Amino acid sequence: MPPVRGCKHSSSQGPVTTFEVIGPITSPASDLQGHPHSLGCLLLDARRFAGRKRTSRRPSIPVQLDPVRFRTWPEISRSGVKYWKAKTSEASRRRRDGKENEIRGRHGDRSAPPPLLLSFTPICLFYAGDSSPQRGEKDRLDFANRKGFLDFEGTSDVNLNCLFFPPNVENYGAPEVPEILIAFSPTESEHLAILKASTVEGKRKKKTYVPLSVSPVSSPDAPNGAQLYSVTLRSPLQSGEMTTVETLYVLTHSLEPFPTEISQSEPQLVYYRDSATILSPYTIVEQTVYIKTPSSKVESYTKVEPTARSGSETRYGPYHDRLPYSFSPVIVHFENNNPFAVVEELVREIEISHWGNLQIRDHYRLKHAGARHKGVFSRTMAAWGYFYWVYDTYAKHPCRLDYQFRQSLSASFKTLLAMLPPRVHSVYYRDDIGNISSSHLRINSQKSELEIEPRYPLFGGWKATFTIGYGLPLQDFLFESSDGRRYLNFSFGCPLIETVVDDLTVKVSLLVLFCFGKFYTLNSINVTSYLSIVILPEGSRNPTAAVPFPVNQHLETTYSYLDVVGRTTLVLQKRNVVPEHNYPFQVYYDFNPIFMLAEPLMLVSSVFLFFVAYIAYVHIDLSIRRPLKTNS
Amino acid sequence: MAPKPVMSPIPMHLYPAVSALLLVVGLLVSAFFFIYEATTSTRNRSLAKELVTATIASGFLGFGSLFLLLATGVYV
Repeated sequence: MPPVRGCKHSSSQGPVTTFEVIGPITSPASDLQGHPHSLGCLLLDARRFAGRKRTSRRPSIPVQLDPVRFRTWPEISRSGVKYWKAKTSEASRRRRDGKENEIRGRHGDRSAPPPLLLSFTPICLFYAGDSSPQRGEKDRLDFANRKGFLDFEGTSDVNLNCLFFPPNVENYGAPEVPEILIAFSPTESEHLAILKASTVEGKRKKKTYVPLSVSPVSSPDAPNGAQLYSVTLRSPLQSGEMTTVETLYVLTHSLEPFPTEISQSEPQLVYYRDSATILSPYTIVEQTVYIKTPSSKVESYTKVEPTARSGSETRYGPYHDRLPYSFSPVIVHFENNNPFAVVEELVREIEISHWGNLQIRDHYRLKHAGARHKGVFSRTMAAWGYFYWVYDTYAKHPCRLDYQFRQSLSASFKTLLAMLPPRVHSVYYRDDIGNISSSHLRINSQKSELEIEPRYPLFGGWKATFTIGYGLPLQDFLFESSDGRRYLNFSFGCPLIETVVDDLTVKVSLLVLFCFGKFYTLNSINVTSYLSIVILPEGSRNPTAAVPFPVNQHLETTYSYLDVVGRTTLVLQKRNVVPEHNYPFQVYYDFNPIFMLAEPLMLVSSVFLFFVAYIAYVHIDLSIRRPLKTNS
Repeated sequence: MAPKPVMSPIPMHLYPAVSALLLVVGLLVSAFFFIYEATTSTRNRSLAKELVTATIASGFLGFGSLFLLLATGVYV
């Protein structure tokens, strides 16, 4: 037998044992001649060493498996990935067989790594406040020590890039600057979901973040169509002063899966394209970009000197004295197996009933927006993939290499979590077929968690359509403001965590009364309607919405229980909604409580109509016979 | 100043009891109405009595059915 050297050491994931084969690997038959082992054992050994031929460094066999991790499949897959990834190095990946490379779509030629390395410069692109930054005159607003962090750690979506910029902005000589401009390239600004800025006040322990207002600025003269946003400072920045501003922005659909099609068992790799230098109309004195990927498995990255990579963090910079609007495109190709759940369309209907209930119906169209799935979908492998991996790793059957399951089951996902308000009741989860029973609801005093499992696990390119409905007590959300108007306080956005919504429509319905010739105005449209009879109670007039970010609004009419005229519905519509949009918004309207009586009066009048009809029937004489004459 | 929450005029946990009470009373009055119709002859009937009984019965039945709808979860 070829000599085997085993070593045991501890790594961050726990003690692992590595077996290395030293010495020439000979064919099993010649080596094991005369070996006392039985045929079965011989074959086992042959398979083991045949496997060794391909890679000199096998994935380490975890000595200790946490029994707790056997609980659920996704947990198993993630823990296994950690063990496996701890030992897989770049070198061993290079030595992997060519067939695997073909499956992944990687090029066999390793001598010229693709120039992928995304460096991300500090977050904030600050544009100094001149309305038209002049090229000739040096922009006086320079940035020192700009550090940018691009953090993919918690993001599973194609979409979410959260970027934090704490740059120090110093005014080097311009007159006082009231605002700072931030630039985005055209593709970035298309995908920009939200942009928030805040200043830091106070020292280390007493840091407070004061939000600043951000507004887009039309910039026809910015080069290459760069979009500018201006951040208004709390006090104008004087010459020679320095301030620190932090910005956070979220881009959607900015991770491109490559290879675009993967089979069931392959991990998902994505491209991230960005610039090593921050796009900015100012001169940047010093900048650094840090990109944090969810795992340390980075296929390749563009090298723009100086570049360094350690673990899951890649650093570009520091760069000094870059010109305004300088842009060095870089690409980082890394593995991202977090679920890419995208809700293509979400329609939320909020129905207010003044008798005490708020009914919400969410209609989802969910899609897995990662690398498309190709090949067969084997439900047994999907469910039992972990055990296939165990068999595969321990048995080391060479034929099984085609079916090698990385424990992460690539980027498919089975469950989704929705955060609902507390005190929710009558929750249902159904689709066009009927009720979906694979869901769990956990209620506590602060929130309710609804964990839903679609009827099938979602692989790349797969879609699922379903409806979630629930009821909420009215007193948690409907309030009366000081000027007598009632308002609904509800959170905008999607209750599913870690998903991006492409198109969100929120419909808030109120009962409307047109009564006794009252006039009402709808938003900015003056409509005069004159009716002389009471049709519906609950006269709600003047619906207006107060939303912290721009949305499209219009009014509709929906018909519900005991409706004659219909309920005024305020429709808010927004694109590219991310979890940062889960702010509460308000809808104000006027309402006279006496109009709640219209519904019972309608029922009373219908029953009374029945009684009156009966009385009339009894009193009317429809006989044909002549009435009997009385004796004269 | 904390905003005042808007609540329904009748506590929600009372909806089933209120609906049962109103419906029972309404059915009793409507039973009285129909018995009156059945027992009296055409000449002795009093329209005023009929109408009054019908009004009371429809009032109770209408409100009772509203609270029945609310109690079963159809929040109108």
